[in-house]
Formats: sequence, structure tokens, C-alpha cells
Amino acid sequence: MLTQIFEQFGVTWPKFIAQLVLFIIVYFVLNRFAFGPLLKVLEERRKRIEEGQLNAEKIKKQLAEAELRYQEVLRKANDDAQILLEESRKNNEAFSQREMEKAVKESAAIVERARHEITSERNRMVDEVKREMVSLVVKTTAKVAGKVLSPEDQKRLSEEAAKDLAS
Amino acid sequence: MVFAPSLIASAALSAETPSFLNDFLPWLTNSILVNVLVVGIIVWIVRSCTRRIEVIPGSGQNFLEAIVEGFYGAVEGILGDKMTRKSFGLLGSLFIFILISNWFGLLPGVGSIGWSEVVHGQKEFIPLLRPTTADLNMTLALAAVSMTLWFIWTMQEAGPIAFLKELFGVKGGMKGPILFLLVPLFFFVGLLEVLSIAVRPVSLSLRLYGNIFAGENLLGTMINIGNLFNAPQWLTAVLSCIVPIPFYFMELLVGFLQAMVFTLLIIVYLQLSTSHEEH
Repeated sequence: MLTQIFEQFGVTWPKFIAQLVLFIIVYFVLNRFAFGPLLKVLEERRKRIEEGQLNAEKIKKQLAEAELRYQEVLRKANDDAQILLEESRKNNEAFSQREMEKAVKESAAIVERARHEITSERNRMVDEVKREMVSLVVKTTAKVAGKVLSPEDQKRLSEEAAKDLAS
Repeated sequence: MVFAPSLIASAALSAETPSFLNDFLPWLTNSILVNVLVVGIIVWIVRSCTRRIEVIPGSGQNFLEAIVEGFYGAVEGILGDKMTRKSFGLLGSLFIFILISNWFGLLPGVGSIGWSEVVHGQKEFIPLLRPTTADLNMTLALAAVSMTLWFIWTMQEAGPIAFLKELFGVKGGMKGPILFLLVPLFFFVGLLEVLSIAVRPVSLSLRLYGNIFAGENLLGTMINIGNLFNAPQWLTAVLSCIVPIPFYFMELLVGFLQAMVFTLLIIVYLQLSTSHEEH
């Protein structure tokens, strides 16, 4: 019965084998020259994309780490700069204070010295004026009395004159 | 006007060999000739698209890659990675070959250009080209290759014991006395399963053959519809151009669907026999 059906549909071994061989050729050609190489390329491309994504992730991570490091360095530099500034400001203040104190001391010493010199000069001048006055008093007295004053008189007059001048 | 209420099949059930070849090349039928052309077309497309395969593809490689990648993804979703790697060559070849063969039959001239010969005292039209999938030899060959490889891969993947257990074993995790009652039942179910497997090549080949052969006859009938209804010559000519157009679109769809159905059935058979899941 099956043979009859096959006969009716023209199925024979030679025709069947010819068709079979032709399909096997298609199978071989597609498998060898199309699917095999194409699937290999697709796999290779998939791997490359995967690698690219991994690299991108790695680079992104490294970039984030570098950014963190940069921020850290920047923060440290800022802190160091602040400390340096603070120190220099402190140093500057201390120096200024010292210089000021020194200047004040020096100016006080100058004033004291000047005062001292003025006093000594005045005293000297007063003494000189006194001496001149005493001498003048003695000379005037001698002229008015018309006589030559003895050394004792001169001494007494000088002392009296000096006493009067002092008061 | 008298209407003839019967449609005349325009093609014979079997592929024909021209009478002058009968003596020395009796196997060279018009469908084998078409098969040779289809093989030539496939080889030419493949070689021109994949002459220089590169990671950054050209337009031809890109076209082929799109088809292969899409189809591979669909098969992988059903069969899994391992079985897809093993069987993709066959499945892709089946789909591409059947699709091109089916659509080749829609080209003008295929099935309609030929000559008349006297066979068994009757004048018969012998077409020069006949769609290769409208020949049972071809569809049987496709089914034979597919089912042979299905059997080999099933034995490799599952092994004969697991295969027999899957066919005849008691399913559902039954234990105790009920198991002994169910053994004969599942044995009978296994026999039915074996019968269904044995019938698979026939059903696969007849389905594809029947659809394409019927499509050929349908188009032939539609082209000759004026003659069937004894319409005037000019009307016959006009009808032969207009009437087949929707059927051509339908046959394009049928050609694609049959390629898909044949391939999908092989995928399903492979999935059923090689998956390790408990049913």
C-alpha cells in the first residue's frame, strides 16, 4: 500500500537520493560558509562589546577613584595652606608686636636721654649764669664801695649772692 | 454561459522527467532541476555575503547576520545554548532552504512554462520547472535528514535508557501499588508515542508537500479561471493577470509559514526529547 502511494506521488530511490544529496550540499555550504563563520564573528563581537563594557566600567571606576584622590589632595593642600597662612599670620603678629615694643622702648630711651641732656644742659647753664651773677655782684659791689674787696669779703658776697639766687 | 463547477488541477501529483531524459537520466525531474537552481542561488548568496567576513560587517554580511542572529536567538530561547550550538546548522539550513524553495515556485514561469507530451495516450502538459517542495521526494528527504539527526542528537544528549524511560516510564512521580496498575497503561502510551514518532517524517513531508502543491494548483487554477468559465479570450487574459494577485500574496505567506512550521516542529521534537525537565 505504501509502495503504491509512493509510486503515485513519484517517489523513487534515485529521485529521493538526488534530492537528499542536494539538501546535504545546502546544509554543508550553509554550515561551513555561513553559520559557522557568522556565529564565530557574532561571538567575537559579543566578547568585544562585553570587554568594552568591562573596560568602560573599569575606566569609570578609575576616574571616580582619581577624582576622589584629586579631591583629597586638593583638600589636604587647602588645609596645609590654611595652616601655613595661620602660622605666618601668627609669626607676623609676634614680629610686629616685638618690633613695636622695641620701637616704644627705643623712643622712650631717646626721650629719657633727651630729657636728661636737657636737664643737665639747663643745670649747667643755670650754674654758669649763677657764676656770672656772683662775679657781677662782687664786681658791682667793689665798684660801688670803691675799695678792693678782700678774699674773705669776696667769698662771703659770693656765698650770699649764690644763696639769694638759689632762693 | 455554462459554468463548470469543478476546478481542474493544473499540476500532476509527481514531478516529471522530460521524455528525452527518460533513458539515461530518469531521476532528473523538473523539481530536481529547480532544486539545483535553488542550491546555486543559496551558494551564490552565501559566498557573496560572506566572502570577507569581518567584525565590522559590510552590507551583505550585515543582512545575513541579521537573519542568522534573529533566528539563532529564537532557537536558543527554546532549545537552550548547548542544543542550539549543535543543531543550528540543520535548523537554519532547513528554514532558508524551504523558504527560498517555496518562494522560487512563485516566480513567473515556474509551473507555467513547459511543453506537451503524450503520456499513456493522453496529452499532458510538462512544466520545465516545478517547485522543489512540491515534490514528495524532496520533502521526504528533508524529513529523513531531520529525523535522523534528531535521533542521533537525542541519543547523544539523553541516552537510550533515558529516552526509553521517557517513552514508557510512569510519569507523575507515582509510588506504591498504584504504580503497578499504571505500568501497563504507560506502556501502551509509550507505544502510541513510538507510533507518533514513526509517523513524524510522513506528517512533516506530506504537510509541506501538500501546502506547496496545493498552492501551485491554486495559482494555476486562478490563472486559467477565464478558460474554466469559457470566458472570451480578452477577458481570460485580463482575469489571468488580476485574479491571481491576492493569491500570490497568500502564497508568499504560506511559503514563509510552511518553512517556519517545518523548522519549528523539528525544534519542538528536539526540545521534547533532549530537555531534562521532569514532566
